[in-house]
Amino acid sequence: MPGNKILEVIGLNKRFGGQQVTKDLNFHLYEGDQAAIIGPNGAGKTTFFNLLTGYYRADSGSVLFDGREIAHLPSYLIARAGMTRAFQVSNIFPKLTALENVRSAVQAQMGRAFDLFSRADRIGVAEAEEILCLCRLEEEQCTIAGELSQGDKKKLELALALAGKPKLLLLDEPTAGMSPEETRETMALIDHLNQAFRLTVLFTEHDMGVVFNHARRVTLLHRGEKIVEGSPQEVRRNETVQRIYLGEQQ
Amino acid sequence: MSLDTEAKGRYGWLYGSLDLSVICGLGLILVLLPLFPGEFQVVVGAEVLIMGLFATSGNLLYGYMGEISFGHSAFFGLGAYTTALFMRAFQGPTGEIGYLPFLISIFMAIPVSALGALIIGFFCVRLTGIYFAMLSLAFAELLYYIVFSWYSFTKGDDGIQGLLPPPWLQGTTHYYYFALLVIAGTLVFLWRITNSPFSYVLRMLRENKNRAAFVGVNVRTSMLVNFVIAGAFAGLAGGLWGPFQRSVSPVLLGSLQSATAVFMILMGGPRFFVGPLVGSTIYTVLNAYLTRFTVYWPLTIGSIILIFVFFLPGGILSAVQRWIRASLGHRSKSSACMPVERK
Repeated sequence: MPGNKILEVIGLNKRFGGQQVTKDLNFHLYEGDQAAIIGPNGAGKTTFFNLLTGYYRADSGSVLFDGREIAHLPSYLIARAGMTRAFQVSNIFPKLTALENVRSAVQAQMGRAFDLFSRADRIGVAEAEEILCLCRLEEEQCTIAGELSQGDKKKLELALALAGKPKLLLLDEPTAGMSPEETRETMALIDHLNQAFRLTVLFTEHDMGVVFNHARRVTLLHRGEKIVEGSPQEVRRNETVQRIYLGEQQ
Repeated sequence: MSLDTEAKGRYGWLYGSLDLSVICGLGLILVLLPLFPGEFQVVVGAEVLIMGLFATSGNLLYGYMGEISFGHSAFFGLGAYTTALFMRAFQGPTGEIGYLPFLISIFMAIPVSALGALIIGFFCVRLTGIYFAMLSLAFAELLYYIVFSWYSFTKGDDGIQGLLPPPWLQGTTHYYYFALLVIAGTLVFLWRITNSPFSYVLRMLRENKNRAAFVGVNVRTSMLVNFVIAGAFAGLAGGLWGPFQRSVSPVLLGSLQSATAVFMILMGGPRFFVGPLVGSTIYTVLNAYLTRFTVYWPLTIGSIILIFVFFLPGGILSAVQRWIRASLGHRSKSSACMPVERK
């Protein structure tokens, strides 16, 4: 079975006012894993991602990434350490071209953010082009990101997350708003990244078809708590899951 | 070869060439300006240059980083007073000053303004948008009040007079060429910065600060570094201003001074490196020549700004760029490689 735990979350708690949005959450991921988090709206999936990436600070608990405590780190250092995320709604740099979007992200990840005198168009270009090709955006390199189609914006969103060769990729509903064709294409790319580059992937998803076909491990969150965790088959068979989540879908 | 460079090859003459052709044209005029008879246009030219540098530094904050400062005059004034106070300290009994002490006085404006920008910026970069703008204004007003009131050190409302450059630089034309040399060098320096990876970090911040953090950008520190660079070169512009006018006064730190830079940026075009310089040219020349015909200068410039805001959004360079595109006609797919919002 898998080797190192790349992510280990112990006793994570987060409270907004009177509401406990994350409750004693324990979670771990092995290197090379591809896992999904499911749960109804408001289950705390996005909050969990925000806690992992330093956007929110946890009230208590610990997050070990690659053996290092990161719960106290700011977002940019977590990204630099190799945990990046793609957002549910595409969150890009609209007035830069697709290439500039990715190239700038690559440069930031290379630690060149404070390079004042090199030429930006000569650094990290090959890597940026490689990422754009992986994401099937090579034709759109020179398009202003804001003018891309909705589907291509979503691809660029993923491309930004791939800048700097992350170790762990968090995807918040990577196929939301996509056509079945685009969904297949995106999930095939994610599988490819996972298999070819051993990139660890954690995604949230509402589409159960996507979850059960592409995740090797599934975790169900409900009201900020982990209810069930296991292989897709185990989770699918679980009665609690059927009651609180799958049941609602039918 | 990448699509990007391929397109640059085919459209190389247009790619970013607006900046370049404006620099060449304006540069040629500025270099030859003193050869024309009369001295008035040289005085105007010096003002165009110094205010152009000031506005260019302000545009590092607005055009590149997306935050507008209404208090950029703080650093112009800080630089002006630094140079003035150093010059007073170096001056002999009859007000004479050596070349080296004079140069030291001018260039001390850079570190002192940078230090001021570091302190003020530490607070400003914690905010964005209108709050950033208002906090920068508040600090500038604060500094204005200190300079205005601290009579024993700054001579308050009277200002500091008698800032005579060394003999060879006293002539208008000589000082003009001195300023041209310093400012041209500075603009080359800033041009490099605005094409660096750092400038793309600034652009990411302009477009989407939140996202920038998740690709590994330290948002506040990047903003602060830019704030310090902008402040430092606003300070150099201020430093050159004092000996040019032979005096400094608290007005240099006033909100009108900041607003002037904002006007210049908006008139020329914030998305272009030379936009503020073009804006400074328009504003300063109009100011210099229209005031001969009308006493209603503020009314006139107000109307002109209204026209720019309504009919030339993105400034005059943006309009020129649109016009060139339109007259070139057909847009093939690869012409998309010359983005509209190119700096």
